[in-house]
Amino acid sequence: MTRLARFAPGLRAYAVIYLLFLYLPVLLIPLFSFSEGTVVAFPISGFTFKWYGQLATQDTLLQSLVNSAIVGAGTAVLSTSLGLFAARAYIRHDFPGRRASEGLVMLPLVTPVIIVASAMLALFLLIGLRPSLLTVILGHTFLTVPFAVSILKSAFEEFDPSLEEAAYDLGESVWGTFRRVTLPIVAPGIVSSLLVTFTVSFDEFVLAFFLSGDQPTLPVYIWSQIRFPAKLPNTLALGSLLLGFSVLLLIAAEFFRRKSRNAIAKVKG
Amino acid sequence: MTGNTIIELIDVEKHFRSFVALSNFSLDLKEGEFFSLVGPSGCGKTTALRIIAGFQEPTSGVIRIGGQDMRAIPANRRPTNMVFQSYAIFPHLNVADNVGFGLAKSGLSRAERKQRIGEALEMVALDGLQRRNAHELSGGQRQRVALARALVMRPKVLLLDEPLSALDKNMRESMQFELRRLQQSIGITFVMVTHDQYEAMTMSDRIGVMFDGRLEQVDAPSALYAFPANPKVASFIGGMNFLPATLLNERNATLSIEIAGLGSLDIGMNPGVTRHERDLLVGLRPEQLYIGRDAPTDYDVTAQGTVTDIAFYGESVRYHVQINGVPEPVSVSVPNYFHTVDFKRGDAVWIAAQGASVIDLGTRSDNEPTKQERKV
Ligand SMILES: Nc1ncnc2c1ncn2[C@@H]1O[C@H](COP(=O)(O)OP(=O)(O)O)[C@@H](O)[C@H]1O
Ligand SMILES: [Mg+2]
Repeated sequence: MTRLARFAPGLRAYAVIYLLFLYLPVLLIPLFSFSEGTVVAFPISGFTFKWYGQLATQDTLLQSLVNSAIVGAGTAVLSTSLGLFAARAYIRHDFPGRRASEGLVMLPLVTPVIIVASAMLALFLLIGLRPSLLTVILGHTFLTVPFAVSILKSAFEEFDPSLEEAAYDLGESVWGTFRRVTLPIVAPGIVSSLLVTFTVSFDEFVLAFFLSGDQPTLPVYIWSQIRFPAKLPNTLALGSLLLGFSVLLLIAAEFFRRKSRNAIAKVKG
Repeated sequence: MTGNTIIELIDVEKHFRSFVALSNFSLDLKEGEFFSLVGPSGCGKTTALRIIAGFQEPTSGVIRIGGQDMRAIPANRRPTNMVFQSYAIFPHLNVADNVGFGLAKSGLSRAERKQRIGEALEMVALDGLQRRNAHELSGGQRQRVALARALVMRPKVLLLDEPLSALDKNMRESMQFELRRLQQSIGITFVMVTHDQYEAMTMSDRIGVMFDGRLEQVDAPSALYAFPANPKVASFIGGMNFLPATLLNERNATLSIEIAGLGSLDIGMNPGVTRHERDLLVGLRPEQLYIGRDAPTDYDVTAQGTVTDIAFYGESVRYHVQINGVPEPVSVSVPNYFHTVDFKRGDAVWIAAQGASVIDLGTRSDNEPTKQERKV
């Protein structure tokens, strides 16, 4: 990267402009959330926290926040558990169809969510599962398993398989080995996966819109408010909080991911 | 020192899909012996060890430990413990918890466990480091923790996979002595895998030499050195000159032969090889050859040659000497003490050998050594 930058200084400018283009619109949201006016326009008129203050009094909003937290937590636990076993199998074992299965697990990252959402809604109705937080959790689990699998795969890649063999050799059972050696060593990876899958679920709109029925999650609630111009400042304030919260979670996730890598690297080196 | 059989491997085969990692592998290990499996990288040593430990199932064949069939017994219930090549120290536990890991299910009280951990650490000279974290240990200390962690289980057999290969040279040499001493003081069977033939020679009661998934020869180090079963073993254990020879006469345990370029002499018959033609292959260790400016009188064969190459090893010097009628230069090793004769490239020298130091390797066409094996 540094060498590339030295030979082509234009690339650095390009990178800066690209990042600005990507993030500037996002930064406008918190900016306008402090504006006293109700229209999004420059110049900004006055500075206020009142839109934030009002949030705390809106019951439907608070209910949707609780819904999102439930869905996020359920999704995180479910997809991280599934991801844990899948990732270990992919890294430790070679079995027929391993590559195909690895590809299949990653598929939700590239399938059009709206197709998946309508198909899932049809499926759930077919088997008699009414739209609810449970169906959202199932949908989000499908969507977030690829994140869990790829985070945990990298945790297992760093992990010397003879550690598990050593535990088994010392008389531990298969389950005891998993509990006393595997889990503690991949724990930072698990935390990282929980945080990332929670965040993805917390911010997800399309699946939640299709599958939540009369229990809206936060993004679904925001969408329902955006149609009312008077509510816009509130929505901006809410959006800013959400943004800040997601960034914090992802930073924490990255911290744990690096911690897991360093802890293992230290003992190896 | 060695007694009853503790481990029996009978006709063990191990295939990975179509790849044959172990073939026709039979081995008896004795109680209380230090046994080494030695062979080039990829020859199946680790696979053999892992089959004994129970991490891998043989494709066919029988394994018994202490007379009991092990095929239905998983690794966590076998009376063996392993020191892994990577040491596999648990990174999230301190030294005491690493060493005490296997005692959790022993039913021992806390105090008893603590006592056992202390004893094990004392054995490997690490007592007092109980509270250290895994990442605060040096390579040598990690290895000792791995040893203590296995020995605390009081296994019947300790399995060691290249235990010294990750250490630097000085540490490796002192650990060779220490491991040997440890094995003798606790008296259990050690099975060590190594690719280093000198390590195997210095530490072991017996050595099994492996090539390509086959056990070529099992013997004491001195017997392997004196009577290698074939040129492969001969060149893997120590240096060796391979020379073509003709069988003149064979009676009792003595062969009369003529070595091309050197002359005729009587040598001992190697019971491990076959002779069904007159064209033989013989071996001569570099340190068993005489080299000097004058022709010696008390040797069986003598010849004149020219020094073509010199390699200085510190404790010894190795000369390559071209002799008329000998296909390739002969390698001669001389200990490097004070007034050693110092030859230069191109010097004319005399080479001589005794029949007693010539090794019979059997019919030449049976075991033409490859180019690489000729190297000494
Ligand atoms: N699990 C496995 N799957 C496929 N091939 C293997 C496996 N384990 C070992 N091998 C192959 O078997 C051969 C012997 O391996 P190994 O026993 O580790 O050799 P060594 O310890 O002597 O270096 C190697 O060629 C290796 O590639
Ligand atoms: Mg090996």
